Amino acid sequence: MIINQKYMKIAVLVKQVIGSESALEISSDQKWIDESNATFVMNPPDNYAIEEAMQIKEKLGDGEVVIVSMGPQRVQKVIREGLSKGADRGIHIETQESKNIDPLEVAKNICHSIEQENFDLILSGLQSDDTGMGQTGVLIGELLNMSTATLAIETDIDQETIKVKRELESGWFQWVTLDSPSSVSIQSGINQPRYPSLKGIMGAKKKEIKVIAASIEDSKQNLDKIFVPQKSKETEVIDTDVDASVDRIVDILRSEIKAF
Amino acid sequence: MLSNIEKIIFIIIALGAFGLSYVTFGKMFKAISVGSNPIDWKRALLNFPKGLQVFISQRTLFKTRPVIGFIHALIAWGFTFYLIVNMVDVLYGFIPGFHFFPNHLIGKTYRIFVDTFTVLVLIGVIYFLIRRFILNDNRLIINKPVMLSEEARVGMRNDSLLVGLFIFLHVGARFLSASFEIAKNGSDAFQPAATIISLLWSDVSQENVILLEHITWWIALGLILGFLPYFPFTKHAHLFMGPLNYMVKDERSSMAAIETINFEDDSIDQYGAGQINQLPQSQLLDAYACIQCSRCQDACPAYETGKELSPSALEINKRYFLNNHLDEFIDGSIPDAAITDLMLTDEAAWSCTTCGYCVEVCPVGNEPMLDILRARQDLVMMESKFPQEAMETFDKIENYGNPWGLSPQEREVWMDGRDVPLMREKKEAEVLYWAGCAGAYDSRGKEISQAVVDVLKEAEVDFASLGNEETCTGDSARRIGNEYLFQAMAEKNLETFGKYKFKKIVTQCPHCFTTLKNDYSELGADLEVVHHSQFIGQLVSDGKISPKAWLDEDVTYHDACYLGRHNDEYDAPRDVIQSIMKDGNLKEMEQSREESFCCGAGGGNMWYEIKTGERINHNRFKQAAETGATTVATACNFCNIMMEDGMKVTGNDEKMKVMDIAELVSKSL
Repeated sequence: MIINQKYMKIAVLVKQVIGSESALEISSDQKWIDESNATFVMNPPDNYAIEEAMQIKEKLGDGEVVIVSMGPQRVQKVIREGLSKGADRGIHIETQESKNIDPLEVAKNICHSIEQENFDLILSGLQSDDTGMGQTGVLIGELLNMSTATLAIETDIDQETIKVKRELESGWFQWVTLDSPSSVSIQSGINQPRYPSLKGIMGAKKKEIKVIAASIEDSKQNLDKIFVPQKSKETEVIDTDVDASVDRIVDILRSEIKAF
Repeated sequence: MLSNIEKIIFIIIALGAFGLSYVTFGKMFKAISVGSNPIDWKRALLNFPKGLQVFISQRTLFKTRPVIGFIHALIAWGFTFYLIVNMVDVLYGFIPGFHFFPNHLIGKTYRIFVDTFTVLVLIGVIYFLIRRFILNDNRLIINKPVMLSEEARVGMRNDSLLVGLFIFLHVGARFLSASFEIAKNGSDAFQPAATIISLLWSDVSQENVILLEHITWWIALGLILGFLPYFPFTKHAHLFMGPLNYMVKDERSSMAAIETINFEDDSIDQYGAGQINQLPQSQLLDAYACIQCSRCQDACPAYETGKELSPSALEINKRYFLNNHLDEFIDGSIPDAAITDLMLTDEAAWSCTTCGYCVEVCPVGNEPMLDILRARQDLVMMESKFPQEAMETFDKIENYGNPWGLSPQEREVWMDGRDVPLMREKKEAEVLYWAGCAGAYDSRGKEISQAVVDVLKEAEVDFASLGNEETCTGDSARRIGNEYLFQAMAEKNLETFGKYKFKKIVTQCPHCFTTLKNDYSELGADLEVVHHSQFIGQLVSDGKISPKAWLDEDVTYHDACYLGRHNDEYDAPRDVIQSIMKDGNLKEMEQSREESFCCGAGGGNMWYEIKTGERINHNRFKQAAETGATTVATACNFCNIMMEDGMKVTGNDEKMKVMDIAELVSKSL
């Protein structure tokens, strides 16, 4: 397939989350994690969105990839990470405090900040590793009147259309064609994210990050309480003859563990 | 002896040969000067005694293969002596009736020496030709799947044949010439071998004897003149380049501690070496110093387990690339000379465990491991082309401060129930105890840390741990080629060190040990770092602890590369084991000390897997099992993990165990 050079302007939505191996202690108000000892990392699914954006840009031969992130000052670290992987510039929608904001509020803020940019494509990771709502990309798509798709495991972008292969349940897939512009969330594992070269890391220091102040209105959704699931241990001793034991084990595997 | 016409012809040929040699030797040095990191020739010159010492003593040849080393020494000494002989022979040819102190003790000694050495050199060279071309000694062959370029394959064979035949013909002709001289002038008690040969010519007319003497004289000296300009193109150049290599060698705090990169310097646009011309000059010189003996691959853990790496092939490929593209290389017109296309494959570069065996045993002072470290720097920092698992390791080190990717808040878990003093509380201690990531996260590593702490407490050492403030030293990052991440980690640790007062750091991890001690010193840090084997040994000899001699079984000690070869510490761990030995014996493995075989974890190989060939640790564990010892002692967390795995896979876990020396000692307290 011959691809005519096409300029595509792509935004990648990136979130900074608490690393999965970080110390997870619930804060005293029970509303969030105590962040004083937390290690912040780029939301792992977003890595795949960045990589996909880079690959699309490289395949088309030209374009611009913009990393967009919302949160306090610290999120600039993940924006830089995206820039060091080859993205062209960043937009930081800065919040004053580090607190959980509902996806609609986030989407509205991001829309407000990027509306003038007229992106051809917005990519986001499948969901965030902290609250896992998986809505931001879709909401932005809707708010900006773009076509949307979720769970893309393959993209095929040419001159006019954006085709994505979506993962459905039970091993089914679906190819959908979207009108440009569109907002697509990327399934993890779609590609192999690159490690930034040193040239990239050095270059990223000089790339522009535009900071826009967030304006948070009343959240429509509020976190009441977070808690660690109660662990309970139940030991069942299967002490019958072999056939009965096997039946019981199969039953456990089938109905309780749902191994098959 | 020579006629006037012969003299004129000889002088013309000699002038031509010297002129041509000037050009060819010049080209060799021009090729070397293409590289980066210019050689400090002034310093090299001051090191002349070092080069001379290596050359005369031939000591670097006796590290491995002592018998062959001895034969080589005979050839080398004999050949050097032949320089004098050649000069005397020229005088003999030019000055009618010249003889070298014919009736003086000097002359007699000289003749007996020449005669003996001639025979020894001939025997030596015939043996080497037989070994290479008839016996096909396995140690001279580079097996698949190592990449050996076609030019190298052809070049190696021709080169060996050429050098062998040159020595044989030169020395042989000289020997015959001497025998004809004896046939002409009568027997010489001081040249017994030549005299015996001269008996063969008793029936030859005097006229023919004179003619034959001329012919053999011309062959002997003509070969020298003919060969001289060709020297730089053969591996025989090692004769000069080997000793020279010792003179130009960089001073390094340890063998893998390569120079640090200044990331603030905007003028640097290449990190590491991706192209052959980006290698430092001293490493281009390596190619000319290499004699292709392949000692370096004898115990290369990658080569020996059938992987794509042979340090020898790396140098040989480099050499024949330079030979075959010399002019383009010098004038810079070569479009692409990628190291991982021409010298070794990508996978070979990742197969290196940086164990340092190749550097340790190379008789001419080559450092193929450094070519690999520099190639990795390029692959990581410039090309971003390296094993996926290594990338995950970088992320884990960067985000969590340890290659396991576990929570930085869980570094103190191993201390549970032990009341380990912490620096953040004490602020000051005689000894900063550094457990390292393995010592804090690996299940066996934690037990080892506990054992170390038990020993420190028993000896009433004033110590404290950094606990959660500790973070990866950056060893793996640096060896894999991520200098940037290494420096970031070093910066963090040095900042933490600055907060507290302590005299020395004690650690059981040789990787942390060498990184803190040597690599950090390259960054300007000045730390006294002691390995736990050394520290425990000192505690025993100072009488601070008196461990009971309780070991009543045989123990074998596995040398950690980064403690042994990289830091020359072979005795301390052995002494510690001996101090608790009751009825058992310390048994050495087939390869130990300087020649030890790596466990397979070094150089970042702990974190990614090269699937080609056999597993290195399984091979090493087999050597341990062969000693008959029931305990394998280690002094490195990585070695401990690898040897335990080797023990389980080889089915030895019921009759053997792997223990760190600290555990062996703490058990006896």
